[in-house]
Amino acid sequence: MRKSFKIGILYSLSGPYAALGRECRDGAEFALEHCNRVLPGLIEPVFVDPAGSLQDYVEGARTLLRDHGCRHIIGTITSAARKEILPVVEKHDGLLWYTCPYEGFEANPNVIYTGACPNQHLLPLFDYLLPRFGKRPYLLGANYVWGWEMNRLARELITAAAGEIAGESVLPVDEIYIDRVIADIARTQPSFVLNNFIGPSSYAFLAAMRQLGKANPEFTSEICPVVSCDLTECELNEIGENGEGQLSAASYFDSCTGHDNASFRAVVAERYGVERRVSSFFATTFASLKMCIEAIHTMGGDEPLAVRQHLSSNTTDTVLGPVRIDPNTCHAALPFHLGRITASKGFDIIASLPAIAADPYLAGRRMARRPQLRVVS
Amino acid sequence: MRHTPNFAGWHASILHRSDSNAEKLLRQLNLLGLTRDLSWKPLAEAAKPDLVLVDADQGWDELLPWNATRYAPCPVVALLGSEAPSRIEWAMKMGAGAILAKPIVTSAIYPAVVMAIAVHGERRLVQERIGALEERIRMRPLVHHAVTALMTERRLSEEDAYALLRSDAMRRRETLEAAAVSYLARRDVVPKVI
Repeated sequence: MRKSFKIGILYSLSGPYAALGRECRDGAEFALEHCNRVLPGLIEPVFVDPAGSLQDYVEGARTLLRDHGCRHIIGTITSAARKEILPVVEKHDGLLWYTCPYEGFEANPNVIYTGACPNQHLLPLFDYLLPRFGKRPYLLGANYVWGWEMNRLARELITAAAGEIAGESVLPVDEIYIDRVIADIARTQPSFVLNNFIGPSSYAFLAAMRQLGKANPEFTSEICPVVSCDLTECELNEIGENGEGQLSAASYFDSCTGHDNASFRAVVAERYGVERRVSSFFATTFASLKMCIEAIHTMGGDEPLAVRQHLSSNTTDTVLGPVRIDPNTCHAALPFHLGRITASKGFDIIASLPAIAADPYLAGRRMARRPQLRVVS
Repeated sequence: MRHTPNFAGWHASILHRSDSNAEKLLRQLNLLGLTRDLSWKPLAEAAKPDLVLVDADQGWDELLPWNATRYAPCPVVALLGSEAPSRIEWAMKMGAGAILAKPIVTSAIYPAVVMAIAVHGERRLVQERIGALEERIRMRPLVHHAVTALMTERRLSEEDAYALLRSDAMRRRETLEAAAVSYLARRDVVPKVI
C-alpha cells in the first residue's frame, strides 16, 4: 500500500474570526476533495477547531505534531494565534502554512507565508489612493497588532508623502459603539478612511458611514471611500448594502479574470452553489494546500526542508497565478488587486499589479521603486 | 516608531563559532538587507562594522577592540545562553544594548537588532550631552570671574552683572560660559583656567 501523509487543518469555526476561519477551512476541504480524486489516499487530513481560544491553538498544534505525527499544519487566522503556535511548530520542525494577509515583520523558516504582507497590500493601496483621493486619511484600528502596526505604517507612508493624518481611532476588538468615531470623521473631513477594524466593529462602522454619506454627500464612497486590506467576499453578506462602493485590497477576488479563474469558479459553484463567492481566504488556502500536497507527491515525502526547497525552486500554477516561495523570506510573491464592492456582494476590480515579491521587513523599500499601477477601469 | 527601521547597506560582524545559531543570524540579517561576516577571532581595529553580534558565552576581552574603553563605537547584540552573572557583566562591559538568548529563535533577531541600535543611539546622545555639560562645568569659574569683573568695571550689583552677561549670551546665542570667555577675552585678562 502506498504511504499516506497526515496534514493538520487548524482553523476556528466559532469565535470572533469564525467567518474567516470557516472560509479558510472550506478552502482546505475543497483542496483535499480535489486532491483525493487525483491522488486518492495520499493525504490523511486531521481537523482541529480551537474555537478562537489561543490556548486551544497551542494544544491543537501540539496534538497534530506530536500525537498525529503531522509535519504540515495549515491554519491560524490571527497573528496572535500564529505567534502562539510557532514555538511548537519549531520544536517539532514542522511547517506551518499561513494563508492570511498580515502586518509583516516575520520570516520564519518553519512557515510558508501565502498571505500578503504590507508591501503587497498597504503600499500599493496607498500608491493608488494618495494621488486620487488625497493625503489626509483617517485611520481606524482594532486594539491589537494588526490595527496598531497597519496604522503605524500608514502614518509613516503619509508623512513620507508630505500628507497629514486627519485623525485616528483605536477601539477594543469587538466595540460596536462607533458614534464618536463617526463624529470625528465628520468633523475632520479626511480624504479617505483606512479601516483596520475587524468583524462586528467594521460592520457597525460601515453601516454608520453609509448613514453619514446619505446625510452629507462629502462622505459617500465616491468622495471619501473606506478602504481595507482584509475585507473580502466572505463578509459581504453580513455587511449587506452598507459596504457598497467601498474599497478593499486583496491578492485574489472572485471576479478576477485570468489564471483559469472561470473554471475554478465553475467547480466551486458545482460544489457550493452558484451563489457562493470565492474570497482570497478561500482561494489562498485552497491554493496553498494544493501546493503542499503536490510537493509531497512530487518529493515522495513530507519532510519540511525538502518541501520548502521544492517550493522555492519550482513555480506552481495556482488560482492566484504562478506561485514560487522565496527561499529567504519564505513568502509567496502575490498579485495586488483593488476591488470596489458591488451591489451584488462582489468586487469590481479597479486596479491590478502583477505579482509583487514579498518584503516582510520592508528592507528594500527605499532602494527599489515600485512599478506604476495599471488602471483597468 | 516614526520610521520603519531600515538596515539596507549596513554591515554586521558576527563573532561566533559556525553553528546553527550563526546560520540563523546570517540568514535573517541577510533578509533585513545587511551584509555580514562571521568569524571567531578578534575584530580588527580597522573593521568598523555598523553592528556587532558577539558570543557572550565564550567571548573574551580581546575579541572587541573597544574592551578597555567601555564605550562601543557601534551597536552591540550579545548572544547569550549562560545565566552566569560574570557573562552578563561581560556583555554589558562590551556595550551590548540587547541580548539574544541562545538557542536563537528567529523571531527574536529583528527586535534585538532594533533595540540595540536604539540603545546605542540613545547612549551616544547622552554621552554627547554629558560631554557638553562637563565642558560647561569646567568653564564655570570663568562665569564667576566675568561677573566679578563686570561688577567692578561697570559698578553693578552681582545680580545685575549676571543678568547683563546672560542677556549678552542670549543675544550671541551661546552659553553663559562662552559669553564669559568672550567678555574676558575682550578685556584680555583670561585667567589660566582653560
